[in-house]
Amino acid sequence: MTMELEQTKEQEKLTTCGRAFHKLGLFLMKRSFGQQVGLFLRAISSIFSESRSFKTDSRNIILQTFFTGVEIFPVLFVVATLFGAIVIVEIMTMMGKVGFSDVVGSLMVVVIIRELGPILTAFLIAGRSGSSLTTYVGSMVIDSEVDALATMGVDPIRYLVMPGLIGGTIATFIMTMIFSGSAIGAGYLVIKTLIVITGNALNLQLTWDYLTTEILKALSMTDFIFVVIKPIVFGCIITTNACYQAMNIPRDIRQVPKATGKSVIKSFFYIVCADVVLSMFYFLDYVNEISKII
Amino acid sequence: MNNEALRIENLHLSYKGLAGTTFSKPRALDYFDKNCDIDKELICGANLILKRGETLCIGGPSGQGKSALLRVIAGLARPSAGRLYYFGEHIPAERQTALEIAKRQVGLVFQNGALISNLRVRDNIALPLRYHKKGSPKEIEEKINMAMDLMRVRDCATMFPHQLSVGMQKRVAIARSWAMDPELLLMDEPTAGLDNYNRRNLLPLIDNMRTLFKTSIIIITHDLMIAKELNCNLVFLYNKTLTEPHSFDYWQNADTAISRELFRDLRNSG
Repeated sequence: MTMELEQTKEQEKLTTCGRAFHKLGLFLMKRSFGQQVGLFLRAISSIFSESRSFKTDSRNIILQTFFTGVEIFPVLFVVATLFGAIVIVEIMTMMGKVGFSDVVGSLMVVVIIRELGPILTAFLIAGRSGSSLTTYVGSMVIDSEVDALATMGVDPIRYLVMPGLIGGTIATFIMTMIFSGSAIGAGYLVIKTLIVITGNALNLQLTWDYLTTEILKALSMTDFIFVVIKPIVFGCIITTNACYQAMNIPRDIRQVPKATGKSVIKSFFYIVCADVVLSMFYFLDYVNEISKII
Repeated sequence: MNNEALRIENLHLSYKGLAGTTFSKPRALDYFDKNCDIDKELICGANLILKRGETLCIGGPSGQGKSALLRVIAGLARPSAGRLYYFGEHIPAERQTALEIAKRQVGLVFQNGALISNLRVRDNIALPLRYHKKGSPKEIEEKINMAMDLMRVRDCATMFPHQLSVGMQKRVAIARSWAMDPELLLMDEPTAGLDNYNRRNLLPLIDNMRTLFKTSIIIITHDLMIAKELNCNLVFLYNKTLTEPHSFDYWQNADTAISRELFRDLRNSG
């Protein structure tokens, strides 16, 4: 009761505007989303803490990047290649039939580079590395290792969340680039092989020059910007959510698999939501272009 | 200089306060939460004073909240009311976090050791020293070797925690805490799961920390003979509160419900 009274007195000192912000802050911090934003900001600010050490931090980040990216590479490469092959075949055949051969490049950019490439990469990383991160940190919470870190004055957010966040984000960015590259490059090779095997049964007039020229023609400045922004946003979402779910595990070993599942599903949900928000900028871009034409 | 290492005034702890630590959630938030009723209390109005360099054993039946009390002192659980002073300094409830308390040179040895599972023994001991940059790399190495020699764990320096026995893990955990030069060391059941040989070896080490380094120590234990062997005071957490501190001999001969209950076997064995 004494503490509540002290807090009430503190609130009375605030202005009306201050009280409104105070209430908004409390409202947000009681929600899972607000707490995740708080965790993200604390992890970012911990980079600049007194205990920073370039050597240790870089080692931890590189290890996390390796853990997130390199181990998922074989699966990602196969998925990207097959996905790229299907997309190229579908677009080439469908667009040719309806007489829109000139938009082949634009469609590939939209499907592979802009939308599905980053999303599929993020899903793969959330399913494999995000879940592993939740299990790893969650087990540490159950075994009191996280408590032990805190009692030694080692900030668990700096020691566990920050390398996961930075390393995971770097890996997501690299993997998205690799996904898009593999989808186009390896996808092209798969189709060429199919053409040779089937004697061009699909009647595709596909050359490397044609494919790359069309794609490069269709790429805009906005695409280049979002090719960088999207994986970074998705990487931050996956790792922050994974660590948040792990840090909030009650002291019960049965909660670890539950938290892992929750981490993956919530990551999928947040990724799709973030993708919709980011796509809004494309719509704004289109509106600007149309208004220029008019 | 204040002569007190720790002072606890009218401490109350509910089961809700004990439930985990949420690093992402601001601790002060709980006090605004109107749904956070003062539910069933585990500790109700406990008081304690520990002098600098003093060792104190806290005993009592299982499930009374001894380990919970230790978690409160270490900042890992939130009291629902009461004040805690570390070396004369009061820490307000909203700032009472493990990280904040660790800055006051308070260390905690967990019952299970709580060693970082993906680090070798040497790296486990080195972790807090390197994190807090406690000296040059050479000084840190010397400190690690000294801690390992003191706790006799040098032979397993390159092993991972899962390769060690329970006793070894406990000794490594003590070495890790000792290396940080704590002024107040909290130990949760340091002798639980140890055989007589390891127990006999561990107690002089704890005694050395008190006599050589003037460390104040709180030991949570069911092994009441520790209080006799370390010649320190003993308090009991019983009926949701702490008793007055007295010597082992006093409690052994006292005519109170708690001493009758806990010293029955010792009295019968003569």
